[in-house]
Amino acid sequence: MNSIKWVWQYIRPYLFGWSWASIMVVAVALLNIVTPYVGGLIVDNVIYNGESDLLLPLLGLMLLGTFVRTILRYTYQIKFERIGQNALYQIREDLYTKLQELDFTFFNTTRVGDIMARMTGDTDAIRHAIAWLYFNVLDNIVLFVSALIVLSTIEWRLTLALLIVTPFIALFTILLSIKANGAFYEIRESFAKLNSMVEENIGGNKVVKAFANEAYEEQKFDVRNEGFKKANMDSVNISKTYLPVLETLAGFMAVISVGLGGFFVLNGMMSVGNLVAFNGLIWMLNTPMRNVGGYMNDMQRFITATYKIREMLNTKPLIPVNQKKSIQEMRGEVEFQNVSFAFADEPEHFVLSHISFRAEPGETIGILGETGSGKSTLVNMISRFFDPTEGRVLIDGEDARRWNVLDLRKQIAIVMQDVFLFSDTIKGNISYGKPSAEFEDIEQVARVADASQFIEKMPERYETYLGERGSGLSGGQRQRLSLARGLIKHPKILILDDTTSAVDMETEVKIQKGMKDVSRDTTTFIIANRISSVKNADQILIMSKGEIIERGQHEELLARKGSYYDIYQEQLGQSEVEEEEDEDGSSTD
Amino acid sequence: MAQVQTDTDKKLDKKMSAKNIKRVLTYLKPYRMKITILFLVILLSNIIMILGPYLTSIVIDQSIPNQDARQLTWIIVLYAVATLINGWASRYRLYNITLLGQDVLRDMRSDLFIHMQKLSFAFFDSQPHGKILIRVVNYINNLSNILSSGLINVLSDILSIIVTLAIMLAIDVRLTLYSLILMPVLFVATMIIKNKQRAAYDELSAKQANLNAYIHESIAGIKTTQSYTRESMNYDIFSDVSNQQREAYMKAVKAQDMLSPIVQNIATITISFIYFAGIRGLGVDVSTGILIAFVGYVNNFWNPIINVGNFYNSLVSGAVYLERVFEMMDVKPQIQDAPDAYEMPPVKGEVVFRDVTFGYTEEQNIFEHLSFHVKPGETIALVGPTGAGKSTITNLISRFYDIKDGAILVDGMDIRDVKVQSLRKEIGVMLQDTFIFSGTIMENIRYGNLEASPWDIVDAARVVRAHEFIQDLKNGYRTVVQERGSTLSAGQRQLISFARTLLADPKVLILDEATSSIDTQTEILLQEGLDRLLEGRTAFIVAHRLSTIRNSDRIFYIGDKKILESGSHEELMKKKGHYYNLYRTQSKLLKKV
Ligand SMILES: Nc1ncnc2c1ncn2[C@@H]1O[C@H](COP(=O)(O)OP(=O)(O)OP(=O)(O)O)[C@@H](O)[C@H]1O
Ligand SMILES: Nc1ncnc2c1ncn2[C@@H]1O[C@H](COP(=O)(O)OP(=O)(O)OP(=O)(O)O)[C@@H](O)[C@H]1O
Ligand SMILES: [Mg+2]
Ligand SMILES: [Mg+2]
Repeated sequence: MNSIKWVWQYIRPYLFGWSWASIMVVAVALLNIVTPYVGGLIVDNVIYNGESDLLLPLLGLMLLGTFVRTILRYTYQIKFERIGQNALYQIREDLYTKLQELDFTFFNTTRVGDIMARMTGDTDAIRHAIAWLYFNVLDNIVLFVSALIVLSTIEWRLTLALLIVTPFIALFTILLSIKANGAFYEIRESFAKLNSMVEENIGGNKVVKAFANEAYEEQKFDVRNEGFKKANMDSVNISKTYLPVLETLAGFMAVISVGLGGFFVLNGMMSVGNLVAFNGLIWMLNTPMRNVGGYMNDMQRFITATYKIREMLNTKPLIPVNQKKSIQEMRGEVEFQNVSFAFADEPEHFVLSHISFRAEPGETIGILGETGSGKSTLVNMISRFFDPTEGRVLIDGEDARRWNVLDLRKQIAIVMQDVFLFSDTIKGNISYGKPSAEFEDIEQVARVADASQFIEKMPERYETYLGERGSGLSGGQRQRLSLARGLIKHPKILILDDTTSAVDMETEVKIQKGMKDVSRDTTTFIIANRISSVKNADQILIMSKGEIIERGQHEELLARKGSYYDIYQEQLGQSEVEEEEDEDGSSTD
Repeated sequence: MAQVQTDTDKKLDKKMSAKNIKRVLTYLKPYRMKITILFLVILLSNIIMILGPYLTSIVIDQSIPNQDARQLTWIIVLYAVATLINGWASRYRLYNITLLGQDVLRDMRSDLFIHMQKLSFAFFDSQPHGKILIRVVNYINNLSNILSSGLINVLSDILSIIVTLAIMLAIDVRLTLYSLILMPVLFVATMIIKNKQRAAYDELSAKQANLNAYIHESIAGIKTTQSYTRESMNYDIFSDVSNQQREAYMKAVKAQDMLSPIVQNIATITISFIYFAGIRGLGVDVSTGILIAFVGYVNNFWNPIINVGNFYNSLVSGAVYLERVFEMMDVKPQIQDAPDAYEMPPVKGEVVFRDVTFGYTEEQNIFEHLSFHVKPGETIALVGPTGAGKSTITNLISRFYDIKDGAILVDGMDIRDVKVQSLRKEIGVMLQDTFIFSGTIMENIRYGNLEASPWDIVDAARVVRAHEFIQDLKNGYRTVVQERGSTLSAGQRQLISFARTLLADPKVLILDEATSSIDTQTEILLQEGLDRLLEGRTAFIVAHRLSTIRNSDRIFYIGDKKILESGSHEELMKKKGHYYNLYRTQSKLLKKV
């Protein structure tokens, strides 16, 4: 019932059309009864009684009846399809909006295939219920009720006798619906699993091939494929117990009608004519009974689907996107006050502990540290993708939690460690965060990111389409595009998370030089593994196991001879020795 | 490069080809026994359906006039038994039709999946993954009804049409012809609707694919979207794509739902005409009884026609999906085993490029006349500016792409002459883009060698220094990671994929930026273990960090579609060329403040 109430809100805007269409359903159902009746009249009156002047009017009536009936039926079918599509459209919009509001935590723990299943398979079950199930049920109800009325007027005792069957039908229908529910749940779960498995296989196709693991993947797939089949068969195994019983019970109505009716006639309780008429109309009572099981299955499918969709719509994002605008010109000051952080799934394991630092507007902060020491997590908190478990992150002296998330993110550009490019043109990708950007602007940031060179070489230059996740580009090219994408926002805070790891050193130098010009008063965070990337920073933070273990400027850190110094030495390596030898020979620029 | 975008639609050929029908039949063939039995069962229940009215007529014509209560009782019993048999038949039908449908879908999906495994990188790079996904999962589901219940019911419908037609002909040829008079109209109407419907469904399937692809990419790229506050813009695009599919759907059902009213009206007109002809003469002279019977048969004749029409209807729409599925099955894998390909025997690890020319597209070559010779056991560092083609070389050795000209030899065997899988088993590549599967860490590492024992896995993790962090995870090696390893740091993902490659224990090892996201200290530790592992193996290492590079036996400096310089670190330093500059930049950068 909850499901119906829920889906009703999507139908309500079309209440008027819905009501009209429902009336048409009733009309058509009634006309369905009339047409055979006219046929009967022709046989009785024209053929047997020879009233041949009635022939043409009756034929006309029959034709007209059919014509009107089919047109009405077509009209309401399309109407319901339309309403179904509109509702579906709206549900999908709501899901999509929700999707965009949900936080990283949700996406880190939910499979893409699962979300896909909700947005395709489940929404379709709902469409089916609105656009098909509803009017069929209504049609059958009308049929059933009119059958009861008509049959009762012919012979009420016999009708009553037929109704003996209905409680059994009701019972089995209820049993079916109870059993079927779980089965449909399984079907959609295994559908989601199949979806996820294939999705992952497609995404990882290069790895699959690299290890020649095709056979293994096929094996994995077989499990899912069989699982999906099995879920469907499990559902049929339930249906096959109940549906035929329902059908047989419905069939027994005819048996009772003939048998009991026959005895009624034999005992003079009923006329032969009435028995014939009664039997001629028994299908009206029969059909709805036959169909009820199938409808119940569809209903269960619908309920399962709404359950899954509502679950997602009801998910509360941990970082609420409040719509109220609090436009504030950001200066770009960032301060971490004793910030500690643990992910929700492991609350006792702190990924960051007691982080404090302060970045003045326009400063550059370099972050260096071990793999998994929490660098990415730290910068993600500036954009408020996570909120600190303890402590505060202040932007311009204001707690990040008090900022409107969208306003905050508008002024921060984060170039993520995992480069994600869209299957769009290069231009579209660069201007992703600023669709209104002028072409000159795009070209300029591409130049700064040292991407213009290779873009110009492509046959369609900025209009070149990229494949999924930017396939068709080399790793370094992708990184530079994503850097350009960050630069074009002209953000107040720029975060570069390992942005040049796949870029050779010479290119990196070029990029750094160019960036100095465009981001002079931008607070910049640079996460890197190369000393050369961070060494000009105003402040360098060295992280280890979620803590800042050293901080300061390049010179200071070198002087301290701590781990920064070690890294520096390591990266410099023995080259120093050779360098000295070469120095005199070759001229330096 | 990508030719197919989320918002472009591919059009099908105009015609529905008979070849595809044949192809569907091959999927049904293994089940022909089952189908036959099912068909018989359906026939049986159809006969029982006719039995009901027949028994009723006996009751009315005989039992009641004769006051024969005994006969009536028997008839009731018989009728009840028939109903029970029918119940059994419907149980049998329900179960077996579903089973048949599911079996066929499973087979088809499996074939498609297996075929998909053979397709090369270029295929996956050329279109949004959401569009591939929808074919394997959703499109095939759309076919379930057509291939099972639809098909069998239509067989029995056709049978009853034939039987009824024969009876009608036996009764009166003239009337029969009259009842067929509107058939051409029906035929023409069906054709017109079919064409419309087909075009509409074609469009619909394309719009569905677009929607799917857009949703898919939206989910995959959600972090970027949120960082760039693109939500409202994306919402608009989504609305548009979603709306397009809505309109396409409406267009499709408007065409599809047209058929049934037309058939019904034609049926009614025909029946009226028969009445008229029968009663008003029109050259037909039949008795009243025969006329009534005949009208009954005309009804019997039209009902299956309506059903067949509906089936045809769904066939037309289903065919669109089917063809998309077959279309994908027909994509020729670009990398295929030669007919006489042989298993590659275990190799020593000699790799030779002989005059290789390669380009991802026809127009642009990445390499021209590239030649080099790598001896077994040598470690080669590939360096050069980004986009020079370092990853491309590694792609070519594993034969992910075929070269345009020249030859690549491993141990003297042309890699095009051996079975691709056996070649790739000999070569371990760590791709530049790490990919983590959902599942446990253990499973992810094991992916490199499915037979590996847990000890081997831990060993591999130890070498790459992943063991430490894995142990710190909640459930150690059994920690479940989500798709693409989203709960791991980038470096951690790289280490896992590194361990996976080492576990494969290949003779030729290719490491493409294996440590780009890994901090220096970990890298040093890792290097020690790796050096041991590299002994006796041929290795290609792509790296930007010079500490990694300088330890290699030879360095290839890639640029300008060829190897510009090659030699050991010392040799190249003496040469004072590209490599020298590269090296100098690094140390200079480190020292200059
Ligand atoms: N969504 C998550 N849920 C649980 N744990 C996570 C999640 N994301 C990251 N972690 C863990 O938090 C720690 C810090 O991760 P983070 O990505 O911040 O590291 P990092 O310093 O950026 O490392 P790298 O240099 O490898 O990129 C890691 O141990 C990682 O396993
Ligand atoms: N799948 C592809 N389709 C078309 N062009 C491609 C494809 N992959 C790479 N390219 C192009 O081929 C050239 C060489 O790319 P490759 O990936 O080999 O470079 P790379 O040397 O590995 O660079 P990086 O250091 O950035 O990883 C680049 O210009 C790139 O744009
Ligand atoms: Mg990181
Ligand atoms: Mg590369």
